[in-house]
Amino acid sequence: MRLAYYPGCVAQESGKELDMATRWVARALGIELVSFPSFSCCGSGFLDEANEVLNVALNARNLAIAEKAGLDLLTICSTCQGMLTLANVRLGDPKVKSRVDGALRPLGIEYRGTTKVKHLLQVLTQDIGLDAIRAKVKRPLQGLKVGAFYGCHLLRPADELRWESAEEPHSFEDLLAALGATPVYYRGRVMCCGFPIQFVKPATASKIAGAQIVDAKAHGAEAMATPCPLCHISLDAYQNQAEKAVGHSLDMPVLHLPQVVGLALGATPEELGLPRHLVSTAPVLAKIGARA
Amino acid sequence: MSEATVKATFDVYRFDPVRDAGPRYDRYVLDLPPHTPVLTALLQVRADLDPSLTLRYSCRSAICGSCAMQINSKSRLACEAPIGPELARDGRIVVEPMRNQPVLRDLVVDQEPFWREYRRIEPHLILDPRHPMPEGTANPMTPAEVDRFKETPRCIACAACYSACPAVEADPAFPGPMALAKLYRFVVDPRDQGQQDRLVKIQTDGLWLCLRCHLCTEACPKDVRPSERIRDLKELAIAAQGATEPGSRHALAFKENIRERGQLNEMKLARQTAGLPGLVTQVPQGIRIWRKKPELLHAPHPIEGADQVEKIYEALDDGKTKEDAP
Repeated sequence: MRLAYYPGCVAQESGKELDMATRWVARALGIELVSFPSFSCCGSGFLDEANEVLNVALNARNLAIAEKAGLDLLTICSTCQGMLTLANVRLGDPKVKSRVDGALRPLGIEYRGTTKVKHLLQVLTQDIGLDAIRAKVKRPLQGLKVGAFYGCHLLRPADELRWESAEEPHSFEDLLAALGATPVYYRGRVMCCGFPIQFVKPATASKIAGAQIVDAKAHGAEAMATPCPLCHISLDAYQNQAEKAVGHSLDMPVLHLPQVVGLALGATPEELGLPRHLVSTAPVLAKIGARA
Repeated sequence: MSEATVKATFDVYRFDPVRDAGPRYDRYVLDLPPHTPVLTALLQVRADLDPSLTLRYSCRSAICGSCAMQINSKSRLACEAPIGPELARDGRIVVEPMRNQPVLRDLVVDQEPFWREYRRIEPHLILDPRHPMPEGTANPMTPAEVDRFKETPRCIACAACYSACPAVEADPAFPGPMALAKLYRFVVDPRDQGQQDRLVKIQTDGLWLCLRCHLCTEACPKDVRPSERIRDLKELAIAAQGATEPGSRHALAFKENIRERGQLNEMKLARQTAGLPGLVTQVPQGIRIWRKKPELLHAPHPIEGADQVEKIYEALDDGKTKEDAP
């Protein structure tokens, strides 16, 4: 299977470990990632607030790049998934389409809308399939209780994202179970990580992140896992701030989606970039018998 | 002809703040057809099993907005939530009062916080007596103008969005999805003469605390899609006033940041949004992260075709919002 690989900004910068783990897992599962150095940022929801049509146009350009190569587009970030999918939807509005076409046509870019935008979680659970993944598990995550944390824009708004229930999703938990882990169900798994207001009001953002970690922990989670690098920033890199907000220590290891898969498929912690995390993942590695 | 029934287990939140030390959950088991709405089941509990169960409802037809509550952790109108799917998924139905509003008794909450925020946005046309509407033109709006706020009048003020909102939960400064969606309705009403003031005021009044998590849009039983109206408000506020608040500053800084290289320069964004004094407060956290993630300080390479991005900006970053299209 060949896909246009859209790593997004964070996985190419401070979230490099997500890119490392994605490439490792793709190799292990026979997914060919085709890189396009011409992809731009998806706008991350912030550009959408400043200028919606401009944001749609940038993503129409991204989609046109994959379309020209005849490939569907793979995202590894809930926010990229949301913004690129929303662009496809909004380009269905003739008013938006005509303004965007007006900007792209002089550049020789044509958007036709045939490229599907797929998040890695969808590719793993729908295209590769749980049976195929189960067959490749070398190090089952036996006994590890993991709280999936979806990230808003992978699920909502559901009318546009159109792949699973926004309020009762289960693909991530199904995947965790296929890897041998015990999925933990908690309300916070579909809630917000607080990231969008990290720059607006950090104390409130940290309170929100803290609430979700506390909830996961209260339901027995020993680790959390997220398909979104922005959630990862909130839950891992800023977990010390979340601890301040909730008033006690949390010590919750937070894994990127492909890191969980990679661990079960036999990757070393270094290959998956685990030493780059702010919160130590050593308890997870000890539990599944991986060398820390 | 009677329909097959299922055994339905309800765990219902019970709490009387005057008499009880804390809340408890009472279990009721009923045999009911799977299409039975949760509200009908609760009324049967009250009629047959426990007359003390307190809840709020009126029309039973998803019109009055009285019976919003948490059903298996989701904000729902009890009158239009059938028990079947809930039982199929969770095996039982946990019924709780709405969140983010104090409980008066059992499933009834004090909606004052919700209504207070609604009153605060001045939910009425602001008219300037010096510029009265011309005689005989009571409704001088074109269908296209009405179309801009066609979703908001559907709101039945049930507060399901307010209950579902994590920003409301975390920060009393956030007005909540419904109040902001209603504010949008007046901001785009061509008859309203307070639009500019409304946009200026809301920028400092919590607009930028919206997380755009879209939980309100999922919770809304009338498809008002509050999160999208809030997005529209943000774009209008920026167009009206520019970058005055941390939120609008961040959105505009993000826009300029992407323009330079086609992709994000994380470190520069932090500097652009916080300004130098703000950045200083971030230094300890920045160093902590940088030690594990040294890329933080590297500016990314410009993308191939960054000139195309610049041309797209030149064509579309013209200070117009999507509604200004020809």
